[in-house]
Amino acid sequence: MATPKELSDFLAEVERRAFKQTAYAVRDDHAALDIVQDAMMKLAEKYGNRPADEFPMLFQRILQNTMRDYWRRQKVRNLWTTLLSSFGGSGDDGEERDPLETIDVEDDSDEPSAQLARSQTIKLIERALEKLPARQREAFVLRYWEDMDVAETASIMGCSDGSVKTHCSRAVHALAIELRKQGLNNLGLTDAMFTNNSSKD
Amino acid sequence: MEDLKQFSMTDAASGAAVEEQIAHNIIELLDDRAQRLTSVEAQRLATARNMAVSHLASLQAQAVTHSGVHQNGNVLQWFGHHRVTSAAIIIGAMLIAIFAVQQFGLNHNLENSDAFLLASDLPPEAYADNGFNTWVDSN
Repeated sequence: MATPKELSDFLAEVERRAFKQTAYAVRDDHAALDIVQDAMMKLAEKYGNRPADEFPMLFQRILQNTMRDYWRRQKVRNLWTTLLSSFGGSGDDGEERDPLETIDVEDDSDEPSAQLARSQTIKLIERALEKLPARQREAFVLRYWEDMDVAETASIMGCSDGSVKTHCSRAVHALAIELRKQGLNNLGLTDAMFTNNSSKD
Repeated sequence: MEDLKQFSMTDAASGAAVEEQIAHNIIELLDDRAQRLTSVEAQRLATARNMAVSHLASLQAQAVTHSGVHQNGNVLQWFGHHRVTSAAIIIGAMLIAIFAVQQFGLNHNLENSDAFLLASDLPPEAYADNGFNTWVDSN
């Protein structure tokens, strides 16, 4: 059984990554914070009696499920909003929300130029990550950011090992293409990769 | 053919290695970004973490209290906490008691019958004799 100290250490280690991953997925920082908090509480309540080394898998599974619950609720809410707005008429101007607007814009004017360039690169990556299909982003994040192996990722995503590999490969290619479009060539984006990609497609 | 297979395997392996490298470069930058949250976000995450940890601590304290009651020998409290179990124990004890009483009553009746047979004027063999039964019925 894990101790509160072990739970605290684990959460302190993963909470920032979990928040950013959720924010990329739901594109709303406040909702992302709520989702991470929910996931933390569920982990403590339902799986607090499990050994601490099981926490990473359990937490990721809870987090992914909580995100799916959020999307389901959003879907229902959007349906009602659409129905009501079609009766009500006035209200929103009907424009779709641009997901890029939710990205934090930090004032880096005081930072050295290298840090500014790095910060801009990160922003481009974040935008590219947000554009990925949900399953590809999930596979990429679990496999590379959470450093899980293919089997663990497949278990959390509820799909086969082969699907995980495909999702990961497509995600990396899509990111590489998107980043190259933005003029980023310093991330190991070689020509060979793009020829591989085109031959795959 | 072999050469072609070898070449395509090498090609696939190098492609996978390039993918891994790009992924790790991207993740390194994302990790960097995740460490630079706003103070409000960091504070909110810390609060959520503390709530989860407190919740686990309280759950574990409750579990210790429940098992501790039994060890301390406070039987009444234990019965209070485990109502279903204690009801099952009481019903089981009642059934055993009823069975025991019935068994004791049966044995007691057998003993009385034996004593009557041995103390009576008639020998026990007379009861097994059909002629005796006919004589009793006719009288």
